[in-house]
Amino acid sequence: MIRFLVNRLLGMAVVLFLVCLFTFVIFFVLSPDPAVQICGKNCSVEAIDQIRANLGLDQPFWAQFWTFISGLFAGRTYGTGANMIECAAPCLGYSFQSSQPVTDMILQRLPVSATVAIGAAVLWLLAGVGGGLISAVREGRFADRFITGLSLTGMSIPNYVLGLSLQFLLVVTLGWLPFPQAVPFGEDPAQWFANFLMPWIVLSIGAAAVYTRLTRANVIETLQENYVRTARAKGLSPGLVWRRHALRPALTPIVTIFGMDFAGLLGGALITETVFGLNGVGKLAADSITKNDQPVIMGVTLLAAFLVVVGNMVVDLLYTTIDPRVRVGSTA
Amino acid sequence: MTFTSTELEVEGATGGEPGGEPATASPPASGRRLARTFLRDRVAVACCVYILLIVLMALTAPLLVKLSGYGPLEFDQSAVDPNLGGLPLGWGGGIGAEHWFGVEPGSGRDIFARIVYGARVSMTIALLATALTSTLGIVFGLVAGYFGGRVDMLISRVMEFLMAFPALIFMIAVLSALPAENRQYLLVLVISFFGWPYLARIVRGQTMSIKEREFVESAKASGATSAQIIFKEILPNLTSTIIVMTTLAVPGYVGTEAGLSFLGVGVVPPTPSWGQMIASSVPWYAVDPAYFLFPGTFLFLLVLSFTVLGDRIRKIAESGEGRV
Amino acid sequence: MAKRTTFAAVAAAAAALLLTACTGGGTDDIGGSAADTPSTGGTVHMLQNADFSYLDPARGWDGGVNAFYRLIYRGLTMQAAGDAEDPNAIVPDMAEGLGTASDDGLTWTYTLKDGLKFDNGDPITSAEVAFGISRAWDPEIGIGSPYLKQTIEAPEDYLGPYQSGEHPGIETPDEKTVVFHLKAPFPEFDNVVAQVNAAPFPVGTGAGDEFLTDVIASGPYTLDSYTPGSSIQLARNEHWDRGTDEVRKAYPDAWEFEIGLDPATIDERLMAGQGSDVNAIAGKIQPATLARLQAPEFQDRLLTAPAMCVTYMGMNTTKAPFDQLEVRQAINYAIDRKSLQTASGGTQFADITTTIIPTEVNGHKDFDLYPSEGHAGDTETAQELLAQAGLEDGFEFTLDIRSQPLMQAQAESIQQALAKINVDVHLNVIDTSTFYETIGTPSQQHDAAITGWCPDWTSTASTMVPPLVDGRLITEKGNGNIAQINDPAINARIDEIKAMTDLDAANAAWGDFDEQVMELAPMAPLLLEKSLVLPGANIAGFHPSSSMTDLTIVGLRDPSQG
Repeated sequence: MIRFLVNRLLGMAVVLFLVCLFTFVIFFVLSPDPAVQICGKNCSVEAIDQIRANLGLDQPFWAQFWTFISGLFAGRTYGTGANMIECAAPCLGYSFQSSQPVTDMILQRLPVSATVAIGAAVLWLLAGVGGGLISAVREGRFADRFITGLSLTGMSIPNYVLGLSLQFLLVVTLGWLPFPQAVPFGEDPAQWFANFLMPWIVLSIGAAAVYTRLTRANVIETLQENYVRTARAKGLSPGLVWRRHALRPALTPIVTIFGMDFAGLLGGALITETVFGLNGVGKLAADSITKNDQPVIMGVTLLAAFLVVVGNMVVDLLYTTIDPRVRVGSTA
Repeated sequence: MTFTSTELEVEGATGGEPGGEPATASPPASGRRLARTFLRDRVAVACCVYILLIVLMALTAPLLVKLSGYGPLEFDQSAVDPNLGGLPLGWGGGIGAEHWFGVEPGSGRDIFARIVYGARVSMTIALLATALTSTLGIVFGLVAGYFGGRVDMLISRVMEFLMAFPALIFMIAVLSALPAENRQYLLVLVISFFGWPYLARIVRGQTMSIKEREFVESAKASGATSAQIIFKEILPNLTSTIIVMTTLAVPGYVGTEAGLSFLGVGVVPPTPSWGQMIASSVPWYAVDPAYFLFPGTFLFLLVLSFTVLGDRIRKIAESGEGRV
Repeated sequence: MAKRTTFAAVAAAAAALLLTACTGGGTDDIGGSAADTPSTGGTVHMLQNADFSYLDPARGWDGGVNAFYRLIYRGLTMQAAGDAEDPNAIVPDMAEGLGTASDDGLTWTYTLKDGLKFDNGDPITSAEVAFGISRAWDPEIGIGSPYLKQTIEAPEDYLGPYQSGEHPGIETPDEKTVVFHLKAPFPEFDNVVAQVNAAPFPVGTGAGDEFLTDVIASGPYTLDSYTPGSSIQLARNEHWDRGTDEVRKAYPDAWEFEIGLDPATIDERLMAGQGSDVNAIAGKIQPATLARLQAPEFQDRLLTAPAMCVTYMGMNTTKAPFDQLEVRQAINYAIDRKSLQTASGGTQFADITTTIIPTEVNGHKDFDLYPSEGHAGDTETAQELLAQAGLEDGFEFTLDIRSQPLMQAQAESIQQALAKINVDVHLNVIDTSTFYETIGTPSQQHDAAITGWCPDWTSTASTMVPPLVDGRLITEKGNGNIAQINDPAINARIDEIKAMTDLDAANAAWGDFDEQVMELAPMAPLLLEKSLVLPGANIAGFHPSSSMTDLTIVGLRDPSQG
């Protein structure tokens, strides 16, 4: 077990390091000079050089990369003398646009993304697993076909199309929901809920569809397994057979995929947040891309990769505990 | 083990759904029987018809536009109201004999013509990306699965890395930094770069199991080279898997292209694209819903048709196995 | 030298133009309820998409943030109130009067008023003024307005107060007097000390990142709370003495800036007017919103902010065929400005222009050298001119544009209009963040580009036309003369007008100069993009402007509402 953990942690570190390096290389090669951008239009060559020196952009690639990595763990400083600015670990640098520390910017927006992710996750788990179970139980009948059709539709509708359609229908035409407007939960819970309802629905529908299909397929498959048949033959009550023998193995894959999906979402739902104007990490990413704010893009990319990698590992660990069939340390 | 995430944002960007992985390889089922089963399925036929219609539309775009009277780039000042922010005149965003689907606010460009030309972009990019992804996925999957060991280790790590990568953020960042020339091909490259591991993973797994079978062993014994074994013995056994996976991948790429264009890093204007049309309709949806509904519906139906079609093909392939 | 706003604002679609409303000359918007006199008290809300660039006026310099600085910082002089007869005029702020120049024009002297204080209660004397101004020389901090550095005499190696100590070009003979020594005579120096980076600060403060998250206010408000990218709250500066300030009215007790809102969300909220939104103002509305504002209740509230910036297409005169005068003139004739106007939101959002100097900027002269019926383009004359240049079969060129919907619509309109004279336009869409770098680098720019230009001050046209056409300003990087025109007659005329000490005469001369430039057609002026704004129902004294909205005269009609 310990060896497995160490191996996984090492693998995780390698993947994250590569993500760092890859992102860094791409921006190093592709990006226009940020100093020119920061300096604006009427800017002297000396001023540009000064900014480059301040940001450490005059250093060679490896030096810059090293500063970035060590900044993550030990912090770093910008500028010299009286104008020195300290950036404490984990330092992701300063935004070229707003001069705010990237770490703070991300932390500030994380709660919004988390709210979106948690609400959507609850919705899609309920709808997906519920729908899948109903579908499996009524296999081949109307309810099954209806749910299957619905999930195919749900998988096919691009989330921005769905988001805009919902907004048009529920807000503009029917007036059932107020126009989305961010308010803290404590101030006006109803408005808060109304504000997040549409993003939750939009984000959950695609996943709910996939989960429905997954649950359905797994449950149907498990019900045909020998040990379930044996349990039934032994005369165990149907409820007990379901709970103990069919559901648990059937839902194991759901747990695994859920871990990944949820981790991915925590890192920001770029399109949904943009469509609904939610100030989460995803919107931060979209905004900084349009402004070519490299440190912020780097920070968000790293965070997202980190969450996915950690999610992957947690899932691995869970998997070994939930499903006795999986041997620790196996690779599939 | 690594799991595929659902890619909630750009739906289907993973190329295929993670849930139902196609069953193990089987010898190709009888073609005629499959076709018959397929033709009896009315939904599948309807999807096929719609897809063919879009393909036809894309192919005959210049002709259709001649018929409707307005090109995709032509401004029509008489169709919009300059005093109301450029709102199209008339019902439903200017729908009428002049403009079948109405006009774009501001410029007065014909929406029908833009939908027709937009179909070209969607189809070209989705099909090219599917072709490239499939090639990469099959080759790397076969190589990793067949040779195993270090090669497998290396390819698997690369796949793991690519799948852990926040692809959407990255695609946008890279596309916005790259020059706009040849954007269509860049889109294909960038989409494929992140897309191939999903197919490769499955191909790898199946190759690993097939290579243990007797017919492969006997081919090896008779002195066939690795290349011969891979392409003559193993690949044919993967056909149904590959067909299913690629059909399921197409809608993902249609959606991804539209999504990237929606975010403003897709094809470059004045080339019309459905995603771009949807993006520019956002501020107008309250006063001119038709401007949003046309591209939105066309896009949704295309993605749906491909998804349903892929689903049906998989079912037929699976049941075909049982029967043959 | 245009403000950086030019780029940012025009780029960020609705976002920036929101804040940047200007002029609002007295007569423009009367009739709107917002012209009423506000009462004291309450909180005014500002809804905006983009965050302010910097809290530190030595760093930030664009229309949006300049309007914000006016609430918390003071200068020696300032632009007149937004409801003044000439809102472009420069009037005294902390100084008793405008500056007095020596006979040779090289020394300018200002005298401070009594009773000036910072928000911590410390008095503002000449030393604090000199210190605040000297921060502009700090290479890391002084990245805002360049005018102080361009005009005031300083040694080459002077690097601001933190590195080099006191500024040798600014004298403070006593607590009330500030004397500036200039590099060369500059008749418009009052505009220079009205720049936002001429704000006073206590000696020794503001090094490093100190002013990135905090302020030391000299104006009527001070920072209460600041969450970057999301909100800014201002509270009254108790030490600001109303008696020392003739311009700022400072009616509300507090300001709240809500940042990071979607432009469509802002419009919806202003229309709905729920809760505190009746006390809200914002930048320009989206063209799509206009159709929903036809009800009288909205029409009464709707205000227009006249344009202070010109949108134009610069033609690179160093590249064929734009090196030929006839070709550039033909393009000017052929462009369908009517269709451009509609594509930019229609008559409410854009005026057609044939001059470089916008109507609202002092010095504007009305002329149209390349007329056409209804401004829809004169293809016949254009084709004749092309034939004269030997290009009757047309040609093709590459047009640099920014990847932003409005710009793209404008470029597509030009593409369509020029197709009629067989000119094939390739659109080169450049990411917003690199657009200005590309077109400002002669080695990278293509044949033409669509961009915007705003004057750095609106009291004269001296910062409007010359930076676009002065051949001596062409540089390898950050070049503003994208036509790269270098005409001796034009260059000479610029120097003559800039030397005029009678500013009215200079303004008249700038109008004629505009016409002289347009005869050479280095560019095609296209549009003056106005803003339509919809203030909350309880807002009064709001005079939006597209260069800088005067927030210091805005207030609530009934502070108990909302």
